[in-house]
Amino acid sequence: MKTVPLSVRLSKYLGLLLLIVGGTLPLVWIALTSLKTGPELQQFPVQYLPAHPQFGNYARVFSEQPFARFFLNSVVVSGVSTLLCVVVASLAAYALARLKLRGRGLYTTLVVVFSMFPVISLVVPLFKIMRGVNLLNSYPALILPYTALSLPVAILVLIAFFGGIPRDLEAAAMIDGCSRLEALWRVVVPLSAPGIVTASLLVFVNSWNEYLLALSFNTSREMRTIPVGVTFFQGEFAFPWPLISAAIVIAVVPLVLLIVVFQKRFVTGLTAGGVKG
Amino acid sequence: MSEQTLALLLLLPAALIFTVVLLYPMLNTLYSSLFVQSLTEPYLGTPFVGLKHYADMLHDARFLNALRNTLVYGVITVSGSFLIGVPMALVAHADSRLRWLARVAMLLPWAMPPVFSALIFQWLFNGQYGLINDLLVRLHLVAQPVAFLTSPVLAGLALVVTVIWKTSSFVALIALGGLQGIPQELTEAAEVDGANRVQGFLRVTLPLLGPALAVAFIFRCISAIQVFDIPYALTGGGPTVGQYGATETLGIYIYRTTLEFLDFGYGAALSVALFAVSLAITALYIRFVRGGE
Repeated sequence: MKTVPLSVRLSKYLGLLLLIVGGTLPLVWIALTSLKTGPELQQFPVQYLPAHPQFGNYARVFSEQPFARFFLNSVVVSGVSTLLCVVVASLAAYALARLKLRGRGLYTTLVVVFSMFPVISLVVPLFKIMRGVNLLNSYPALILPYTALSLPVAILVLIAFFGGIPRDLEAAAMIDGCSRLEALWRVVVPLSAPGIVTASLLVFVNSWNEYLLALSFNTSREMRTIPVGVTFFQGEFAFPWPLISAAIVIAVVPLVLLIVVFQKRFVTGLTAGGVKG
Repeated sequence: MSEQTLALLLLLPAALIFTVVLLYPMLNTLYSSLFVQSLTEPYLGTPFVGLKHYADMLHDARFLNALRNTLVYGVITVSGSFLIGVPMALVAHADSRLRWLARVAMLLPWAMPPVFSALIFQWLFNGQYGLINDLLVRLHLVAQPVAFLTSPVLAGLALVVTVIWKTSSFVALIALGGLQGIPQELTEAAEVDGANRVQGFLRVTLPLLGPALAVAFIFRCISAIQVFDIPYALTGGGPTVGQYGATETLGIYIYRTTLEFLDFGYGAALSVALFAVSLAITALYIRFVRGGE
């Protein structure tokens, strides 16, 4: 092995330290804040560690707002959007990546164009549509737009993964008497499982984090999702930071778990899809 | 069934969803932009005014302010996210026992809901009890805590820091993907040739990283033009300087015009303008991708 100069090793560790502190400190600080009392937060110079960790703040998150309901809403909306989006995207990506299709370039270009639509431009017309079909304050009011907004990314990621599967395997399955759809289901889908996981993760994170449409369409308290629900902890005069912090920590736990478990999938997925960030 | 028919059939569900949720609403916005429709001024009726709203924009000082803010913050945050994101990727790519932790630290800001990023930094930048003020005072850089979010320039700084924190990780992720695609032999060969590490990076790694960075750049430009969540939740577009918000972006102005002032006609025109700019950047992107093939 080559010896690495000390200066290079030092700068590597300094870089690592900066990256790890910079990436995690804001969230660590919020976690510490979530364990403090209100008066404790109104001190300067700031006291970094909570004197007596206030785990009761977490209980209050659930008693002062229907936070369990917000959580459930987010899980249902993000979960169903992810499922729907990935199924629809798989069909489209299969057609675009593996079938003889005239106009493939045009269709792929359209998918890219759809990925750039500003959500803010869609709020009013979508609001009118949802009101027209009586879907305001419902799960579908968010599931439909979330599916559409993540569909381009999911399709692009899946095209990249489907494109990498050898055609011979599929042909062999069809010679063995599978129909094309059976071949898709039995050969292509299992082999592109990593791609499907990656696409699902990206769609889920997008949907879990969406704010503007959730704020505009589901205005009744019972139908709020987490990102909107957290902003409603704001008091009239002062922000109840311990509660907001505890709520943020609870809301971020699923994301942190996904990141820790699937970090490699996220990296490959973003590269494959050229995802909007 | 021919393959062509099957392919079109498989594309149908996606096409249906795109049409109902994206295409039709966008066309609807385009159509609305040609009419007066202001719910707070119902006596105006809904006459057809053609391109009047678009002409009005050019004389709308608040729109020009929002446009200027969007461009200024956009240029700063896009450049900032590359200056920080690319070194982040190099660090996360290097072999180390801490690599998994580095990757988690890199993914966290990317996965964080923008609204939460804004709330967290609002607390960090708090003018009385914020951690940033605490550190500044302890390091004797300032004598008294600074009211970041109520001063126009400092609110802009807080916005820029928040957006760069949130978006550098996106650039880093794309760059990391690019780095993983570069064969190690190439960078090693450069070192054997006597190029030192910095030269090796500039002459070998960076050019090979070019396509990945270009893709990241275009996506960052689009999201900078459309930015809404972070400034809306961090500063609400304020504080006011002169007549208009110092951090009011196009996204916030469109939101206010349509959902607060209920001026759907003019708001639609603003939306179309934002869409047009996004589309122009997309066209560049598509030309770039096609050029690479």
